[in-house]
Amino acid sequence: MTLPQINPVKPPTNVVVVEDDPASADVLQRRLQANGMLVSVGRDGSEGLALVKKIVPDLVLLDVMLPDTDGYDVCLRIKSDGNTAHIPVIFLSARGEVVDKVRGLSCGAADYVTKPWNAAELLARIDAVLAQARSARAPRLERPTVRPARQRPTVALALSDGARRHRAQTLLASSFDVIEEGGQPADLVLVDAGGMVPEELADDETAVLEIVGDGVAPGPEAARLDESLVRDAGLLVRERRINRDLDAAADALITLATALESHDRSTMGHSERVAARAVAIAQVLGLDEQAIRTIRLGALLRDIGNAKLPPALVQRHGELTPAERELVASHPIHGEQILRGLQPLRAILPIVRWHHERLDGKGYPDALRAEQLPLEVRVVTVADRFEALLVDRADRARVSEPQAVRILQSAVAQGELDPAVVAALAAQVRSMEAAR
Amino acid sequence: MTVSRISTTEPRKEHRFLVNEAVARLALRTAGTYLPLDRDDRPYQWSTTTYCDTADWKVLRAEKTGHATQLRLREYHRTRPNEAFVGETLFLEMKDDRPELGMKERYVVPTNDVMAYLRGDKKIEAAEDSLIPHMTALVKAGVRPVVVTQYNRIAYSSPDGTVRITADHNLMYLAIPWQANTDDAIPCRIGPVIEREPGVIIEVKWFDDLPHWADELYSYIRDHMVNERPSKYVVAMRHLLGDQELIA
Repeated sequence: MTLPQINPVKPPTNVVVVEDDPASADVLQRRLQANGMLVSVGRDGSEGLALVKKIVPDLVLLDVMLPDTDGYDVCLRIKSDGNTAHIPVIFLSARGEVVDKVRGLSCGAADYVTKPWNAAELLARIDAVLAQARSARAPRLERPTVRPARQRPTVALALSDGARRHRAQTLLASSFDVIEEGGQPADLVLVDAGGMVPEELADDETAVLEIVGDGVAPGPEAARLDESLVRDAGLLVRERRINRDLDAAADALITLATALESHDRSTMGHSERVAARAVAIAQVLGLDEQAIRTIRLGALLRDIGNAKLPPALVQRHGELTPAERELVASHPIHGEQILRGLQPLRAILPIVRWHHERLDGKGYPDALRAEQLPLEVRVVTVADRFEALLVDRADRARVSEPQAVRILQSAVAQGELDPAVVAALAAQVRSMEAAR
Repeated sequence: MTVSRISTTEPRKEHRFLVNEAVARLALRTAGTYLPLDRDDRPYQWSTTTYCDTADWKVLRAEKTGHATQLRLREYHRTRPNEAFVGETLFLEMKDDRPELGMKERYVVPTNDVMAYLRGDKKIEAAEDSLIPHMTALVKAGVRPVVVTQYNRIAYSSPDGTVRITADHNLMYLAIPWQANTDDAIPCRIGPVIEREPGVIIEVKWFDDLPHWADELYSYIRDHMVNERPSKYVVAMRHLLGDQELIA
């Protein structure tokens, strides 16, 4: 069997140079290009930042003295943006005083090189900084490919030793199809302990099992090369499949919720907009992928409890009687009841039940206070209220996005909403406006 | 680890100015001619200050009347952290903020105890004329972290501490998600940047009278400033809440 090889051709290093002096920029650009790098030049801070956001390069070389701002400011902006914070920055500056260097490094730069620079030294520093940055980051995965449905799971054997490969193949042959050629991701990849996974064999859904030696205790994603391998590999792959099935179940529920929503023309598409906005806020807040996934799903399904209310009431546009208001206010409880039986959707239940709560304890249905409301809930609440302000309702006209932000800031001042979440929303709205 | 008070109550005058980089450089060169670098402040270290307030903004409302006691938590770092309350200890500070006369107390406390102090489970023993009773009142009213500032400071200070001139570069105001005052809230993720100062904040602090050179420098800064600034907390909240007339 021939194992697929990792592509030895490395992608070129992308560098953004922010330098206002054309002659200096030109010399630097030529030198870097001669060493196989792709170079883009920004002539001032704004142009440089725009390039960094657009390209997301591997490295930024930054002058300190720029016509529109200073390099420290540009560096801080790069380091404050979740999408670019990982990019190493090297300052190139004629300012060589210790306080200048200290200030540059304090801003998050990886290195500070004084002009006039020596080419050999600069390239050596670039290599060192890039090596450090790469070792600190997880390898990038290729865009996931759509896999054909299979009866038997597939396994790829990325083990270095031929005898171990043969043994693994023998052990797994009864339950897995072994992929012998590259080009398609497998359901499971076996690797040596601490080994790398060949990119062409894996995607986001691939399970990876490390094969450990006899004296090492196997962990949740590690196994020994013995009879227990079939069981461990099977369990791991099944767990992945269950997760995929859960995603499919959640999709079905979302379809149901969307169908319900479509009966009410005034709110059609509202859930998708709330979910998109909530995800954008969560990204500004720097929440992790799991939290963002929960927020998106929770936002999409938060009003599913409306399904238990009389349709005429849900579609009513006029004023409600107190009894009707009470009935409408019960939709979060109904929503939680509908979803409670689905154990894997447990994480979104707080969003479904509490998205009408307020930090000051004056919301419904449980009148909880701030310390009892998870951040994920607060994010969806803000997104929901914001998106509601952007559309016409029977009792009021829609407002612009900046006006809606101001209205929510008033709600913060009144103690209803989380200041940081509204601040994240304001930042997201500003960023979108700047991009238009 | 026990709490230790490291700064006594100190009435002093304090003025803040927003200036451009050129004015700041000149001010720092002048200050550096007469004053040594503050031995306790590493040049351009990052200061992370977390300001606390109650759900009904008692501190902010008091600031608008011209006299407030701020409760804040200060940390110093070599590089800018994304979280607050990350070191072993931090400074719990109370600052009595008035236009012409300020008093400040700071206590070194173990970071892990911060939330216990905010809940009122732990208490700092009050010395005579201490600001602790102000903190106790805020704790009873449910004080919690609401906003954060981060900046690089360079500080010059006379050996007897009678004059102190600081420049804050890269000042930014950041939101902090509403945290329950539970021990799980440590360390605490800082939220998005809500605004950044375009220039440098120069602060001049002194007891009694300014020496002649400092008086001249003070006048120069006033003549060339962009504007005079209220406290960082007030500016931060202005950015966080927008132009709210609701808090008056």
